[in-house]
Amino acid sequence: MPSRQDVDGILAERREYDGELANASSSTSQDRAFKTLLVILAILVLFPLVTLSGYNFNYVLHLLLYAFMYIAMASSWNILGGFAGYISIGHNVFFAIGGYFSGMLLAKFGISTLLTAPLAGLLALAVGFAVGFITLRVRGPSFIISSIALLMVTRIVFDNWDFIGGSNGITLPQMELPVRFVKVPFYYGMLTLAVITLVVSYFIRHSKFGLGLRALSQDEIKAECAGINTRLYKIMAFAISGFFVGAAGAMWGEYLTYIRPNIFLVILVAANMVLMCILGGKGTVAGPTVGAILLIAFNEFFVSQFGASQINILGTGVVMLLALMFYPNGVVGTLEKKGKLPRILNWG
Amino acid sequence: MEILQVVVIGLVLGGVYALMASGLTLVFGVMKIINLAHPIFIIIGAYIAYWLFRLYGLDPILSMPIAMIGLFCLGIAVYKLILEREAGSARYAEMTVLLTFAVAMTFDGLLGFMFTSSQRITSPSYATDAILLGNLFLPKGQFYAGIISVSLIIVLWAFLRYSRLGYAIRATTQNRDAAQLVGVNVALVSTLTFGIGIALAGASGALISFVFSFFPSRHWEWIAMLMSLIVLGGMGKLLGAVVGAFLLAVVAALVSTYIGATWSTLTFFLALFLILLVRPQGLFGEKME
Repeated sequence: MPSRQDVDGILAERREYDGELANASSSTSQDRAFKTLLVILAILVLFPLVTLSGYNFNYVLHLLLYAFMYIAMASSWNILGGFAGYISIGHNVFFAIGGYFSGMLLAKFGISTLLTAPLAGLLALAVGFAVGFITLRVRGPSFIISSIALLMVTRIVFDNWDFIGGSNGITLPQMELPVRFVKVPFYYGMLTLAVITLVVSYFIRHSKFGLGLRALSQDEIKAECAGINTRLYKIMAFAISGFFVGAAGAMWGEYLTYIRPNIFLVILVAANMVLMCILGGKGTVAGPTVGAILLIAFNEFFVSQFGASQINILGTGVVMLLALMFYPNGVVGTLEKKGKLPRILNWG
Repeated sequence: MEILQVVVIGLVLGGVYALMASGLTLVFGVMKIINLAHPIFIIIGAYIAYWLFRLYGLDPILSMPIAMIGLFCLGIAVYKLILEREAGSARYAEMTVLLTFAVAMTFDGLLGFMFTSSQRITSPSYATDAILLGNLFLPKGQFYAGIISVSLIIVLWAFLRYSRLGYAIRATTQNRDAAQLVGVNVALVSTLTFGIGIALAGASGALISFVFSFFPSRHWEWIAMLMSLIVLGGMGKLLGAVVGAFLLAVVAALVSTYIGATWSTLTFFLALFLILLVRPQGLFGEKME
């Protein structure tokens, strides 16, 4: 018979050994993946230096900052649609709110939207709380319906509100920079936003809040019984996912140099966010990023080949349909299930 | 007298809205699918009537049965190919919403590509004509569309009330599992109901082709309107959809006359937010836990 002392000793030894094994196998390679991501980020941060060479890199800069914007927006949508399982089809309302708020500040007082973007985000957050308070009162389908209705209400109001230019919108003053530098400030703005959104998304996913959201996405009644304040969680998820979309809208308005309802309030913007999350994998941290890159590359190819915007809607619809029918878990989700997810995409 | 005039116009339009929403509420009742693609099927129906009128001079009211048959088949095809495979999946509600959203976008893009996004309207002779009843002025086109819509809804009601298939549909609406237990072929009933729902969309499409001007992407506006009125009436309730349609159409007509035409669509959405705030289950819905 081994004594009590022995058993404790053996257990302690065993624990230490297990710990070593775990460290050896996962953490070093995980560290390596993390370092790779940091290197990619560093390259992206340094990339605008190429403009100093004297050549014009505006197309590349445009594509990259467009991708950063959609990475931020899709990841933001994912907090509500992926983690909590509440599909919002009118999420570009926040995009418009952010764009118009900061755009009006720029037009009236000349303050750059890069500075007011966080404020625009906060306004979107507040609107999200107010709207969510009404539309997330009950479980089930009414939220989806009200998200479309919200989009329509906003469109009608913005189209007819003379102070913000009605359906013609308003033109914003441009930054006084040489042409080849003009995109650089927005590049850094969007990059910062994308990184912050991803970090927040990661921390939400690994917090008690994120766990609660996942629980309520599985079974809301059970989650409620387990003591989760589902209503508060849903409203918070809605508001937070409005924040980043609002901030993205703020910068996008000044970047385009005009704000107009039919840029911000078209269903295609919302559909893009939804589709990016589906393509990449809803409810994963890396999914929206992968989806955004895939969809933007696809769109760029499509537009260069066929042009027309109607074909673009058709293409978006067909891709969404096929993705939903055959790969509902998206790239990241499918690979994860097969155990073949590359470590560089394993963001928790 | 003016107010009576406005109310009458509202009531006539209410009949049209009720038919537009009836298929939507039927499909939700039986399958719990929020069919975001419903209004794009209405627009397809409208295009069928439009082209039959333009090419062969066929009256839109006569092309209504053709639109119904065509869309019945299209509806069954969409259900069989795309939606049925989700039956019984864990994330049914979420998946069907996303799938119908994708279907709506696909047809929206397809119609826009084929027929461009210019506004269309069918113009049979009665569309611009009017009936005078004393002081009341009734545009013939809207009047015919309203009357036919209401008759179709009465036929639908009688069908649900008295036919064998109608019994099965109502049983499935009330309790899917229990219906299956007593021998209803739930899968077949679901398929047929979806077909019927889309056929109703086709019928209302043919009728509205001479009442409203339409273009492919108009369905986003209609989905929000129709959803608002079926939420107001209580989701899945035919009677609720009809009452909701008449109520909102009259209010919208009043708003349009006394406040301004731009704001009349807003009535529907404000009613939606109001009902969600006060009585989330709708006027005729049972209280949810």
